[in-house]
Amino acid sequence: MNAATLLPQAERVIEVRNVTKTYGSGATAFQALKGVDFPVNAGEFVMLSGPSGSGKTTLLSILGCVLTATSGHVQLMGEDISKAKEGDLPRLRRSYIGFVFQAHNLIASLTAQENVGLLLEMRGSSQSKARAEAGRLLDDVGLGDKLMSKPGDLSGGQRQRVAIARALAGSPPIILADEPTAALDAQNGLKVTETLRALAKEHGHTVVVVTHDNRIFHLADRIVHIEDGLIQEHP
Amino acid sequence: MSATGSPGPHHLVATRPAAAKAIRARQGFFSRFRMMGAVGLKMMFHSKLKLIGTLLGVVFAVVLSNQQAGTFLGLIYKNVMFVRNTDCDLWIMPRSTEVVGPGKLSTSALSQALVTKGVADAAPILIGGANVLLPNGGFQQVTLVGTKYPNYRGGPWNIVAGDRGALARPDTLIFEDSERELLGGLNLGSVREVNGRRVVVGGFTWGLIPFGPSYAFADFEVARELLKTPQDEVAFILVKLKPGADAAAVKDELSRNLPDAKVFDRKDFEASVLKFILTKTAIGITFGTSTVFGLIVGFVIVSLSMFSAVVDNIREFGTLKAIGVTNLDLSMLLFVQSVAYALLGSLVGLSLVAQMAKGIRSAKLALNTPPQLTLGTVVVMIIMCVFASSLALLRLRKVEPAMVFR
Ligand SMILES: Nc1ncnc2c1ncn2[C@@H]1O[C@H](COP(=O)(O)OP(=O)(O)OP(=O)(O)O)[C@@H](O)[C@H]1O
Ligand SMILES: [Mg+2]
Repeated sequence: MNAATLLPQAERVIEVRNVTKTYGSGATAFQALKGVDFPVNAGEFVMLSGPSGSGKTTLLSILGCVLTATSGHVQLMGEDISKAKEGDLPRLRRSYIGFVFQAHNLIASLTAQENVGLLLEMRGSSQSKARAEAGRLLDDVGLGDKLMSKPGDLSGGQRQRVAIARALAGSPPIILADEPTAALDAQNGLKVTETLRALAKEHGHTVVVVTHDNRIFHLADRIVHIEDGLIQEHP
Repeated sequence: MSATGSPGPHHLVATRPAAAKAIRARQGFFSRFRMMGAVGLKMMFHSKLKLIGTLLGVVFAVVLSNQQAGTFLGLIYKNVMFVRNTDCDLWIMPRSTEVVGPGKLSTSALSQALVTKGVADAAPILIGGANVLLPNGGFQQVTLVGTKYPNYRGGPWNIVAGDRGALARPDTLIFEDSERELLGGLNLGSVREVNGRRVVVGGFTWGLIPFGPSYAFADFEVARELLKTPQDEVAFILVKLKPGADAAAVKDELSRNLPDAKVFDRKDFEASVLKFILTKTAIGITFGTSTVFGLIVGFVIVSLSMFSAVVDNIREFGTLKAIGVTNLDLSMLLFVQSVAYALLGSLVGLSLVAQMAKGIRSAKLALNTPPQLTLGTVVVMIIMCVFASSLALLRLRKVEPAMVFR
């Protein structure tokens, strides 16, 4: 494919063209994405919204290299991942992606600092550098005094902040968040999203947030609507 | 371009920062191992109940297998004990002899041994079953050993009452202390009838009990009369070498000159006893089976509890995979957990075994737990736990990272 049509290659961080995803096969086959185009430029903070079952998580999973598309093209940072082999996906995730999940999905037995440090070490930091950097990241999300706390001892909002620090760890180019505010009250949801946006803008991350939460829509650079497996055109 | 959207109020951010770049750095192998191991250990200690469950499996395997193997080794020891304690370098015995027991060897072998170069001394012993008449009219068997004055190369040892010199007194025997009750309440000076002849108790040994009846010792000539052994027959000849003599050469020389006999050094004889026990008795199989049973039960417990620990934490493992952990990383995690379970379980199990060994160190049944067994246990437990973790690994390999979005 030719990514140079609209913008210089370096600007286009996510390039999705005519992607379909079919779950299952035969009689039980279900097409969750029916030909999706979804380009995102460097540094954009994009929100993806749509009704339940419309394919938001499916699209995000494909972008996050935890799922492969049935057909179509997907490029991250200019690398074609549509044909990536199963065994190559972990490397792609380490190279490009930071995840924030709906449930915080932290490792319960590790402290906040260890949860964040894990990713830094996986991305090549030494143990001591990872520890220091994790402390700094947690400080950035306002948890400088909770480094040694385990997820069980933190509030929902605090856990989601740790999750944001973990997603930013090692500074991956793309941050993907699936309903990061769903488990939080309005105030916390807003604060967490503001934090994510501020840090992403500061460090040049490209962010895609799946959300239903209209209280945070105003934080988006762009809102993309998906329905029934198709991106909805709005003027 | 089909994607559209409404620009938010932050659309016009003044200066755009340098975009974050793809991350190409990757942790080195050993660093990954260390890190995944540390995560594994933390997960392991986080769920105490699963930890205890898995450890119980290891402890069970350690205790059961050590108890069986220790008892087996104890029995082996009791059967080679006679060989180990005998004060000689070479044994001459009939070709058919495999263990310490009765035998028919011609006394001419004795004269042959005495004139063989390098031999300092050769002494015969007799061995045979004898019946002790009990005060209540019943009989109890002993394994009577006739041992030659003045060196008493064939025992007795471990004397806890009386002394060896007592055998020089007429019709005096030394019995096993732990069998005193069984033999009708023996005491020093007690008089009993053995094989129809009146004998006096001159002393007691401790712990000299083979598989069969306990040993009793008599002077060679007294034993010959009690056992009614012909004048030209002995069971074994115990050969003591001159200092500096070449044992192998003497052994060859004796073998050559005594075609009807075989010559063993201590190692040969111990090996022969061991081989006899393992091949001609069911003892090896019995103990082997229960040892293996202990290992299998331990394996199953460890397998299932590690598997269920993985299932309990399946979401965490899915998350680890989603953030880029590979199946190899996860197998490192399980490997370290397995080794930790094995070491911890062995520590607990082996201390229990040590307590047991102290508790049941009787004359009859001793738990023999040499350092080799202890070390072997740890190694076997590591192997067992690592194999037991494969069920958990199979489950982990199947974890789809996409699950974390659901
Ligand atoms: N593993 C799967 N197997 C079969 N069908 C699936 C699977 N995952 C999702 N689907 C189906 O695909 C469609 C899109 O699912 P997806 O999770 O992407 O929706 P969503 O927009 O994230 O919904 P929600 O807002 O409820 O999270 C749904 O109809 C769903 O039932
Ligand atoms: Mg969803």
